[in-house]
Amino acid sequence: MPEAVVMTVPGYWAVLAAVLLGGLAVFAAALDAGLSDRAQGLGGGWGAPLAGTARLLRQRRRTTVAADAVLWRVGNAGMLMGALLMVAVVPLGWWALADLDVGVVWFNAVDVMVWALVWLAGWGANSTHSLVGGYRFLAHGLAYELPLMFALVAPAIAAGSLSVGDVVAAQEGLWFVVWMPVAFVVFLVGVTGFSVWGPSAPALGADIAGGVLSELSGVDRLVFLAGRYAFLAAGAAFSVPLFLGGGAGPVLPGWAWSLVKTAAVLGVLVWLRRKLPALRPDRFMEIGWVVMLPAALLQDLVVALIVVGKA
Amino acid sequence: MGLTDALARYALRATHVLVVEVPGEWRTRVGLEQQMLRRGWRPAWTPADADVLAVCGIPGPALAENVGQLWEQMPGPRVRADIGSLSHVSSALDDAATLLLDTPHHRADAQNRPERPQLPEPHGQSDDDGMDHGGHGHHGEHQSADHSDMGHGGHDGMDHGGHGGIDMAPEGIPLATGGQDRDGLEMDVLHLPWGPVLPFWPAGLVLRCALQGDVVVEAGASVIDDAHHHGPGEGHPAQAPWAAVRCDNAMALLALAGAEDVAVRARRARDALLDGNGDAARDAVTRLHRAVRRSRLLRWSLRGVLPLTASDLEDHGLPMSCLGDAHDRLVSLVERVRAQVHDRGPMNPSGTGAVVWDELPHLMTGLELATVRLAVASLDLDPLPGAREVARA
Repeated sequence: MPEAVVMTVPGYWAVLAAVLLGGLAVFAAALDAGLSDRAQGLGGGWGAPLAGTARLLRQRRRTTVAADAVLWRVGNAGMLMGALLMVAVVPLGWWALADLDVGVVWFNAVDVMVWALVWLAGWGANSTHSLVGGYRFLAHGLAYELPLMFALVAPAIAAGSLSVGDVVAAQEGLWFVVWMPVAFVVFLVGVTGFSVWGPSAPALGADIAGGVLSELSGVDRLVFLAGRYAFLAAGAAFSVPLFLGGGAGPVLPGWAWSLVKTAAVLGVLVWLRRKLPALRPDRFMEIGWVVMLPAALLQDLVVALIVVGKA
Repeated sequence: MGLTDALARYALRATHVLVVEVPGEWRTRVGLEQQMLRRGWRPAWTPADADVLAVCGIPGPALAENVGQLWEQMPGPRVRADIGSLSHVSSALDDAATLLLDTPHHRADAQNRPERPQLPEPHGQSDDDGMDHGGHGHHGEHQSADHSDMGHGGHDGMDHGGHGGIDMAPEGIPLATGGQDRDGLEMDVLHLPWGPVLPFWPAGLVLRCALQGDVVVEAGASVIDDAHHHGPGEGHPAQAPWAAVRCDNAMALLALAGAEDVAVRARRARDALLDGNGDAARDAVTRLHRAVRRSRLLRWSLRGVLPLTASDLEDHGLPMSCLGDAHDRLVSLVERVRAQVHDRGPMNPSGTGAVVWDELPHLMTGLELATVRLAVASLDLDPLPGAREVARA
C-alpha cells in the first residue's frame, strides 16, 4: 500500500502530540543530567531537571535596564511554539496531525524561524554577552542552514514528493539512512544547530557567561530551556520518517516504533554533547561550507542518479 | 503554604551558586566547588541564574562594591553566603540552604527592592564599577556599537570627548563614541570589561577591552584591590599544590572550549591531587592526558588561538611553556603535570617562571572576541595572590 501511508487525525490530538513532545524533552534533559553526574563520578542526577524546574518556577523574573521586553519574550517563548509547530508534520506511526503536501518545506520553514527567535532572545536583554550570543547563533546558522536544506532535499528526491507521508511510503523495504548516510549526518548536525545544542551551542557558551541565557531568570529561562529541548526532540522525531523508515518495524505497532527510534536518536544527540567540544562560530563556516555543503550536494546527486536510473 | 514549602524544598536540590573568589582564596573556592558538587548544587555563570551568592574570602573595597552590584542583579529568592575560609564552607552552605527555604523572608526581600533595575551610580573614585558580566553600565555602549550603520557618524561634529549629554543618554546609558578601526574607518567603540567575577577566569583579574566590531583594538589589565600588589610571581607563599592549580587551569580552558567530559576529567584530577591520594591522582592525570591527546576536534577548535613564537616569548617575557598555540600550551601543561605526578618532573616547577598578568593587554590586542577567553585561559596564569599574602611576603 504505497499510497496514503499516513492518516491525518483530528486537531484535538495536538494535545497528545504536545504531551509526547514534552515527555521526550524531559527524557532528554534527564538523560543529560544523568550522564553529567555519572561523568562527575556521582550517582543519580536523573531528577535534576525536575528539581531545576521547581527552582525556576520559584525564581522571580528579572529585567535589565532598557530591555526590549516584547521582543525578548517573543524570542524566549517562541522556541517552545516552534518545536510544537515542527511536530505537527511528524507522523507518529501512521497518524499525523497534518500531512501537508509540503511537509518537508514546513519543517525547514520552522527551523529557519529559530534564527529570529534565538537572535531576538539575545537582543532583547540589552546586554553585551547576550547579544554576542545572538550573533554567534546567526554565524552558526549561516554555516549549517544550507547544508541542512540540501540534506532535506535527498529524501524528497528519492520519494519524488515533499510530503512526509510519501517519504515514509518510499522507504518500504529500504530505509533512506542506508543509502543516504551523508544526508542523515548533515541533518543531525542541523538538528543540533537549530536546537542550539552540544557542539552547536557557542551561542550559550561558557566563554560569554551563557550568552543568550546570561540575563534570563525564572520562568523566562525555563521556557527557553524547555523550548531548546523540545526542538532537539522534534528534530530527532523528524529524522524518523525522513531517514529511518517511520513507524516500520517488526512486532511493535507503528507508533511505538516511531517513539523508540526517536528516543534512540535523541539519546545519541544528548550523549554526543558531552563528547564533542564546541564548534567555534568563527571557524565552523569552514566545515559548513567547505565540507558539509559539497558533501550534501554530492549526496543529492547520487540520489538523483539512482532515482533516474531506476525509472 | 504546604505546596510552596514543598516546591522550595524540592528546588533546593538544584540550587545554583554564583561563586566570587577573592584573590588568594583559590583553595576556598575549590573546596566550595567540591561541596557544591556533593549537594547537587551547580555553579551559576551569571547573577540572573543564581540563588546563592557565595563569596570566598574577604573582599577588598572595590570587589565588595562589585559583589553588591551582583547581589542587586540576582532575581531572588537570593541568599548570600560569606565563606571566610576553607573550614567554613560546609556550615556556610548549610546556612544558605536554611535561609533559601525561608519563603516569608524572600517575600519581604522582594517587596523592599526597586521595581526596575537601576544603573550603578557613576562615581569617580573607582574605575572598577560595572565590570561584572557585561554589567548594565555598559549596555548603551554596545547597543550603539552594534548599530554602527545607523549613522552615528552624524554626531562627530558635536562629540563631547566621551561625555554624551543627558539627552544623548537614554535611560542613563551614554551613547558610544567612535574611533578609527584598523582600516582607518570610523567605527563605534564598545568598552567591555572581563572580570573580576566571571566563570573560568583568574579571580580578581580585570581585563578591559575596547572592541570595534569583534576585534579587540585596545586592552588594559588590572587586579582588583591591588593597592598592595606588586604583581604575581614574587615569592608569595604557595597556597596549593602546583599540579592541582595546573589541572584547575586546564579545566577552565576545556570548559571554555565546550569540551565538557574532558573538563570533568581535569576537575577530577585536580580533586585527586588535592586529596593527596597518589594512586588515584596518577590515574586521574593519566586519563586526562589520554583524553586531551586523543580529541581531534579539541585540537581543531584550539588550533591557532594566540600563536606565540620563540621571539614573541622573549618580547613578552613569557616562559617556554607558552610556545605555540592554545592547543600546544594545553598539551604541554598536561604533560608537565603528568611528569610531576610520575616523579619525573622537577619537584618545584613553579620556579620555572609564570605568566605575568600585565603582559595580557599586549597579547590580547588584535584578537577577536571569540578567542579572547580561550587565549587568556591557555596562558595558565597562577592564581593572583591576596593582598594579605603579598603584604606578608
